[in-house]
Amino acid sequence: MSLNKITKQISGTEKEAENNGRISIFSRFKLTTELTLLVIIVFIFIVMTVVTPNFMTIYNIGNLFKQASVIGIISIAATLVIISGGIDLSVGSLAGLVAMLVSVMISGNYMAKPILPAILITTVAGIVIGIYHGFIIHEIKLPPFIATLGSMIILRGIVKWISQARTIANLPESFTTFAKLSLFNSIPSLVLVWLAAILIIHIVLTRTTFGRNIYVIGSSQEVARLSGIRMRLNIYGIYILAAFLCTIAGILMTSRLSSAIPTGGSGYELTAIASAVIGGASLSGAQGSVIGTMMGTILMVMIVNAGVHLSINPFIMEIVQGALLTVAVVIDMLRQRRS
Amino acid sequence: MNGPRKEFVRVVQVSKRFPGVQALDNVDMVVHKGEVHGLVGENGSGKSTLIKILMGVHQKDSGKIYINGKEVNFKSPLEAQKKGLSAVYQEVMIVPELSVGENFFLGKLPLNRLGFVDWDKVYKESQKTIRDLGLEIDPRRKISNLSFGDRTMIMIAKVVREKANLVIFDEPTSYLTIEETDTLFNLIRLLRDKGLGVIYISHRLEEIFKICDTVSVLRDGQMVGTNPLPDVDENRIVSMMVGRPIDEMYNIRRAEPGEVLLEVKNLTRDPDFRNLSFYLRRGEVLGFYGLIGSGRTEIMRIIFGVEKPDSGEVIIKGKPMKFAHPYQAMAQGIGLVPEDRRFQGLAMSLTVRHNINISSYGEITNLGFIRRKDELSRTEKLVDALNIYTPSIEQLVNNLSGGNQQKVVIAKWFAKNVDVLIMDEPTTGVDVGAKVEIYRFIEGLIQQGKAVIIVSSYLPEVMGLADRILVMAEGDFMGEVRREDADEELLLSMACKVTLNSAAH
Ligand SMILES: Nc1ncnc2c1ncn2[C@@H]1O[C@H](COP(=O)(O)OP(=O)(O)OP(=O)(O)O)[C@@H](O)[C@H]1O
Ligand SMILES: [Mg+2]
Repeated sequence: MSLNKITKQISGTEKEAENNGRISIFSRFKLTTELTLLVIIVFIFIVMTVVTPNFMTIYNIGNLFKQASVIGIISIAATLVIISGGIDLSVGSLAGLVAMLVSVMISGNYMAKPILPAILITTVAGIVIGIYHGFIIHEIKLPPFIATLGSMIILRGIVKWISQARTIANLPESFTTFAKLSLFNSIPSLVLVWLAAILIIHIVLTRTTFGRNIYVIGSSQEVARLSGIRMRLNIYGIYILAAFLCTIAGILMTSRLSSAIPTGGSGYELTAIASAVIGGASLSGAQGSVIGTMMGTILMVMIVNAGVHLSINPFIMEIVQGALLTVAVVIDMLRQRRS
Repeated sequence: MNGPRKEFVRVVQVSKRFPGVQALDNVDMVVHKGEVHGLVGENGSGKSTLIKILMGVHQKDSGKIYINGKEVNFKSPLEAQKKGLSAVYQEVMIVPELSVGENFFLGKLPLNRLGFVDWDKVYKESQKTIRDLGLEIDPRRKISNLSFGDRTMIMIAKVVREKANLVIFDEPTSYLTIEETDTLFNLIRLLRDKGLGVIYISHRLEEIFKICDTVSVLRDGQMVGTNPLPDVDENRIVSMMVGRPIDEMYNIRRAEPGEVLLEVKNLTRDPDFRNLSFYLRRGEVLGFYGLIGSGRTEIMRIIFGVEKPDSGEVIIKGKPMKFAHPYQAMAQGIGLVPEDRRFQGLAMSLTVRHNINISSYGEITNLGFIRRKDELSRTEKLVDALNIYTPSIEQLVNNLSGGNQQKVVIAKWFAKNVDVLIMDEPTTGVDVGAKVEIYRFIEGLIQQGKAVIIVSSYLPEVMGLADRILVMAEGDFMGEVRREDADEELLLSMACKVTLNSAAH
């Protein structure tokens, strides 16, 4: 068994060498993953436009992108953590919690607050959860998978508890109109926020020391430390930034749905991780990009949307999404074996 | 060697291309039975690639390989092993989570009558193999708990067990003590006398002269020539490798020592070392010599804040250091080139550019934003200066040859401005040309009034570079030797704890 391991170790390089022609898609994957995704997305767009009349409508496309915006921002959070070699399973629950907190406060049922303070308080709550993650992962040294799995369940519990498992509706109009705004009557406000997040985090990752450090940490914590990277600062920073992004997503989600449900955001963590991996992020760290993740998100959301228009059983669409995730991880593994 | 030598392996016009690199370009080579065949060349010249093709790890693009006159085409290392080829690779390839014994019997663990693994046999037989090499390593120990030197010796023992006809060693002595190197050489002679073929790769030419019968030189993937030894001398080989002669390797311009920069007082960490005190002045190169495992690496890691001591003080520029984190040590102007490039020095899955700049992004940012132009230009400059052989600065470090990876680690500290640079075995696997560059860099540092600590098990290097040499054995200082007084035997005997009257000062 172990001999196989060694031969695999050795022949990994061999495969790479042999398949250079074929695998070169992955070796320059930064650009080509994104290009490949773009081609697939455009292809599905065209096919869908041809086969169903209701797909290429302003209403549907707007809706599709609004939904993609919320998941897209959560996916960026997931991407940051994945690049650092960790994983955050709590992103969906956190967005759900934020949605519920803000709704409870502004709907005036109890803990009533005006909109701005409510948003502020929820943001602080989100950041506190980021700090908590930094703490148990950096100081207590829990593996991120376990740490955030715990949070995922805890936060979901809190959502159900504060909402008493009820849907909170009747949100003030001033809050819900935000999601209905659009630029030049065409680009929805949610999409603008998403684009801003993409731009900012892309710049952070590619142009700042903090961003570069995230990749180094994802490659090897020991090397990062010995290179003089301040681990505490950076690890906390990563999880706080991720939690902050989820907070924004949670607030946008509430504004869009004009309500908060106890299961809001559940399952998003998997969509988010899938989007990141499809977009070129590696579960072993040090690889991934915001642009790739954006494409991954569009693809994931579009497939579900297409399923609806083709009247495919939604359960089957779940299977398709799961399969897509599996394929993405397999591709990631192939990429890893290369190096 | 009398009589006509029997040809064993013949490599004919073999070529191999990696993206952006022609690693081998129509290479010819013949290895005879009963011959130790040296293979030398600069970093990235294709040595490891050639042996990996021989071993079936990589597949050649074109060319032919004959063994005993018959053409072979190995698709995997297992096939090569079956034909009696075995290799000790440059990057240690044993399974670290398993015990020494298990590694010996990988894939063919002996079973007892009940069908369970016969552990008694595993450990008894491995014990014997290890003893035969004159080593004292418990076969039950996990590989990951062994020093690199011991790991290499285990690899060598394993290869010997396999009863091969051709044994390949790719830079085997990087992590070996002098004694272990002697053991290895005796072993190689034994193999040769038994009529086996041996291919021996090294950047240490004196080793080539000591052990090889023939030497082949690779340059940029091409075979420049094969010569019997001692028909060619060292200068000739170097100029074949580099394309020009290189001389005065270790002759660096000395600087006048200035004030004390770093002082270490009564540093203790059991069981690694006890009560060590020393100082380092501006303009000085301080050498640490000792056998591997003598505690040198541990001291350096403490000074750099990677680990904490039990007691003692480190004073830098008059201020006591807190032993907490490397970034704090760096803020005080200390840098460390760590011992192990793959696990401590390099982010293997990132690019050459990223790795070179990791530690010094602070110097090329405006308000936290990296100045791309500066990043690119300084990277290009360092890649040029150290002659890092790579198709582009965007190449993943993982794809570089071993020596070029080491150069990237060095370049990372060239880029960062530090007052005290600690270098732990800095020239492991680095070719002569780049060694000279590294020595020039050290020279530049001390001329600017900075100071360097160099930890090396390679005697010519410590003796040539250091102004003072501290000799360690088993966690104790055996004494300080000044450059003028240093000679090989004295240092060796001190490091081996042999008491000589002339030892110490
Ligand atoms: N898996 C790989 N992918 C891409 N390039 C590679 C790969 N392996 C080796 N190379 C390139 O092939 C060339 C030859 O490498 P090789 O490892 O054979 O050099 P070497 O002579 O052993 O050098 P060193 O003395 O540093 O060990 C180098 O330029 C290296 O970057
Ligand atoms: Mg090599």
